[in-house]
Amino acid sequence: MSWGTYMKRYGTLYLLLIIPIAFFILFRYVPMTYILQAFKKNNILIPPWQVEWAKNNGFQWFIKAFKDKDFIIALKNTLFLNLLDLVIGMPMPIIMALLLNELAFPKYKRVTQTVLYLPHFLSWVIISSITLRLFATNDGLINKMLGTSIPFVGDPEHWRGTYIFLGIWKECGWNTIIYLAALTGISPELYEAAEVDGASRWRKIWHITLPGIRSTIIVLLIMNLGHILGSEFDRPYTLSNPLVTEASKTISIYVYEKGINGQQYSLTTAVGLFQSVICVIFLLMSNTLAKKFGERGIW
Amino acid sequence: MKKILALVLVLALIATLGITSAFAEGDDGFVDGKFTETRKIKVEIYNRNNDGGTDPTNNVWTEYIKKGMLEKYNVEVEYVSVGRWTETDDIANLLASHEAPDVSYTYGYNTIISYANMIDADGNPGVIDLAPYLEKYKDYTQNIVNLLGGEENLYYDKDPLTGAVWMIEGVRADTSRITTFIRKDWLDTLGLKEPTTLAEFHDALVAFRDNADKLLGADAAKMIPYTTSTDIGWRNDLMSVSFVKNDIDDETLFVYGYDDRHLLYPGYKEGIRELNKWYNEGLVWKDFGLYNDSTQEDDNMKAGYVGAFMHNWDYPFRNGEDCINLNLQRNVGENAMFVPIDCFPDDSGVTKKFMGAAVGSDRKIFFPSTNKEPLASLLYVDYISSPEVIKYLQTGLEGTSYTMTEDGAYQILPATGEWVKNSGNNIDYTMTCNGLYLGDATDKTTALSYPGIPAEIVIKANEFGKNNGRYPKHFNVGTIESETEVGTSLQEKRDELLTKAVTASVEEFDSVYDKLMNEYMDLGGAEIIAERALKLLEVYAIQFALGE
Amino acid sequence: MTTLNETKNAPRKLHDGMIKSRKTRIGDLVIAGICFLLMLLCLLPMLHVLASSLSSPEALVRNEVFIVPKGWNTEAYKTVLTTEKYVRSLGWTVVLTVICTLLSITLTICCAYPLTYSNLRGGKFINFIILFTMYFSAGTIPHYLLLNSLGMLNTPYALIFPNCISVFNVIIMRSFFYGVPDSLREAAEIDGAGPIRVLVKVYLPLSLPVIATLSLFYAVGRWNGFSDALMYLKKSETEKYWPIQLLLYNVIKNSTQTTEQAAQEGFFANGVSKTIQMATVMFATVPILLVYPWLQRYFVTGVTIGAVKG
Repeated sequence: MSWGTYMKRYGTLYLLLIIPIAFFILFRYVPMTYILQAFKKNNILIPPWQVEWAKNNGFQWFIKAFKDKDFIIALKNTLFLNLLDLVIGMPMPIIMALLLNELAFPKYKRVTQTVLYLPHFLSWVIISSITLRLFATNDGLINKMLGTSIPFVGDPEHWRGTYIFLGIWKECGWNTIIYLAALTGISPELYEAAEVDGASRWRKIWHITLPGIRSTIIVLLIMNLGHILGSEFDRPYTLSNPLVTEASKTISIYVYEKGINGQQYSLTTAVGLFQSVICVIFLLMSNTLAKKFGERGIW
Repeated sequence: MKKILALVLVLALIATLGITSAFAEGDDGFVDGKFTETRKIKVEIYNRNNDGGTDPTNNVWTEYIKKGMLEKYNVEVEYVSVGRWTETDDIANLLASHEAPDVSYTYGYNTIISYANMIDADGNPGVIDLAPYLEKYKDYTQNIVNLLGGEENLYYDKDPLTGAVWMIEGVRADTSRITTFIRKDWLDTLGLKEPTTLAEFHDALVAFRDNADKLLGADAAKMIPYTTSTDIGWRNDLMSVSFVKNDIDDETLFVYGYDDRHLLYPGYKEGIRELNKWYNEGLVWKDFGLYNDSTQEDDNMKAGYVGAFMHNWDYPFRNGEDCINLNLQRNVGENAMFVPIDCFPDDSGVTKKFMGAAVGSDRKIFFPSTNKEPLASLLYVDYISSPEVIKYLQTGLEGTSYTMTEDGAYQILPATGEWVKNSGNNIDYTMTCNGLYLGDATDKTTALSYPGIPAEIVIKANEFGKNNGRYPKHFNVGTIESETEVGTSLQEKRDELLTKAVTASVEEFDSVYDKLMNEYMDLGGAEIIAERALKLLEVYAIQFALGE
Repeated sequence: MTTLNETKNAPRKLHDGMIKSRKTRIGDLVIAGICFLLMLLCLLPMLHVLASSLSSPEALVRNEVFIVPKGWNTEAYKTVLTTEKYVRSLGWTVVLTVICTLLSITLTICCAYPLTYSNLRGGKFINFIILFTMYFSAGTIPHYLLLNSLGMLNTPYALIFPNCISVFNVIIMRSFFYGVPDSLREAAEIDGAGPIRVLVKVYLPLSLPVIATLSLFYAVGRWNGFSDALMYLKKSETEKYWPIQLLLYNVIKNSTQTTEQAAQEGFFANGVSKTIQMATVMFATVPILLVYPWLQRYFVTGVTIGAVKG
């Protein structure tokens, strides 16, 4: 088809695309040019490309970041919390999805799902405000009910546990959606055949259900591994308190406090760049690994 | 020909007169101490969001200042409000977006220095260098000089190498800092006299703990002999520094003086050890570590559960009718009150107090480079430092917001409606002055400032907040690089260190304290100490031996 | 209906409600029991908040409230509903959410629809540049600096534009569009309809479920979001543009100040009582809780399509 006829027929499609593409360019790609700030002196009065280069061939801030104890702590915390989320948090929705799948009463199942989705719709601000009431060491409701003084949010080790628990509490129900969807893709005949062979509930789960959702699990695993150094802001920021800073300061909080509040713009841009690059590397690595195992990767 | 020559001469004369008169006018339009055309400036003002407060940008006080500035200098003033408790962050943001007011003030020295180090497209730094203006308009800075106590204080922050002056310091007019308070009624009930030593104080606390039933009856379980917050550096300061030797020298105070809570002073650790012991004896509020704000503590104090505490010298008297002492009387009884005591003598028997410097530890005023009216701004700073203006802002209108007593003191009347001051003594407006500045009437007036509280108690609390005061010597070494880079992380680490050390078990105290102190040092503390010692050598040729 | 060998010794079927084996029945009850406990886990905290907000402050301080209000007291709600700060913020958040959702959903449709045309020239390239942004982000500070250069800091636009399109949602919508039979499109094209006509006449009417779903996603994201307001709206005058979550955060957690000056001035915490805090929490949550159950059917399908096909 010639360009003339093509544009006549499909030209309006490009019209539709103008604003979305402008959005992506302006708010996703143009900021990438500001990444240059990471290699320049800490001056934001002029655009980064006009600023002088930083010391050490522009790597002054990267070196500084790794010498900065705050950053090392933030890095350690981010990795640790993400790993815990992955190891503990990822199996939970799977188990819950299996549970829901086995639930034999359809109406009850609907209701259960509705209730289980509830925490997903709460913001972290809300959850954190309930947290102190429930989990305070001496005055919290839970400790009062149990008659104990467990410092759920009072010391770093316990805090980590509470942090992971709350993360699961919030998203587990919601994350079952994907797995339940994948479960519907398993052919019922497989179950019937198993039934005929006298398989118990557990054997069916082990041999049919789990392999059936294997690809979904792998895809989600890849995506989560790819974000192993990424850090959300809302959760650690709202849940932290002065006693647990050595466990709760993550990279996102570091960037906010040092960068936006502390005027260390170049330093935190360098940190952000480091984060993004590592994420991409991990993503590529896990994708390749998955493909080697014969799974369909993300791309 | 002659005519033409004459004409040319006349024209030349007129032209010269015109040009020279333009020069004579000084900074385009400033004649005889007033601008010929109205200039506009924006001035920062803190916003505290108090209940019952007035709009900080538009009230009787701003009206007074605006009127005065317009009449005196033909300068129109507009106020821009910035949240008081997030001010360093907010100012950083406003500076970034070029929206910072012409006259800005902040407690954050580093905020100003970071910006001064940024250069814009024209090669100008992000903050205006005041040195040339201070020199040129000397005659118009007299009020500031008088307030700060001398011209050298005007140049307090002059960079020793470049001579640049990025900011003007404010003065702490009343340096009274922290005082210890104890429940008089409990002491009386138990037949104890007011403590004058550490041991006596400790005994009083033990007595409170052991007699909880007698003192609190049904609420015995709520007994809190001694309360504190996570800001132990402030809330236990007097006890901690009593373990620091009396003869400590100025250089030591300087090298270890980055932390304003005296954390690094030799001997400080022992004070914290003592508090840790007390904590493990059940004498200190168990839950202090969990709370970020003071509501719970204040409630405990007002309800009558607390025996003693250390705080700002006037803490129990603040807030008029809602102050702690008056609440205490309402909730517990006529005789219930917190009285000031001075009971932490050091190794020489002196209850010494480490004071903040009068100049250099309060707000700092600076002009961002977006300021197009530096002279008008400087005039504002001078205006706001004059005794009449300060007096008005602190006392208001005779008959309406204050009355004079027989001995010449200002009796401040409880403020209502538009006369409410959002900050104590209107310090948010008197940006160069923190504290009463009423000449000879100052001390007498201070005593009257807290309606409902007996004057002797106020004077005593104020006295104990500054007696035996040791003021740090000012070593002007310019910017200390390593300090500009740490932001608030060292303060936070200090609070963490002290809180954890106090709440640890007695056996673990040393390991917890030392471990966290090492982290503090690694976070930048050691660098700062090293740099301060180095600067002492460079600028003052003083050799300082590090290492304790 | 399933088919099964009808051998006498075959174990009973699971799926069409006939008599089950005892072991399976017990298992079913156990599973139902576990699900019940999980539901309680999700509900009880919210019930506690509700009860707290309706209790007297004294009962709260003494920790006597569990899931039933003690000392019935609606003062907290009266305060919250009459305080201008809260009501204004709630109103603004509603307006903001509506604006953002409409903008986002429109742009998402505009973005997803053309990408369903496999013969779109440049389509692969456009796909790539959109997908790439899901994997590599410029970072917080570059975004901040960009908004600064655009003059959007301290304006409400900083809350509306920077995140108005989510790639994930675009993928979901596109996958849904793929699911519409080509025959419908071809029929419309034969009638002479251009692509936009096809969109309006054919795709949109069929897409109501996915539009409802994605609108819910965008709305919840905007309603619960506070970190962008935290970072971009620091000027005093911009407090009126704070979403309710940020207001709530400030009400509940006062900032810590550790400078000497602050301690000297006495940090007057705006002591907000716990009941009011709990009432504000309900205030900020109830709108969403009322809406999402109705859309559950839709978003389940929506996420399914997006995840499985994306």
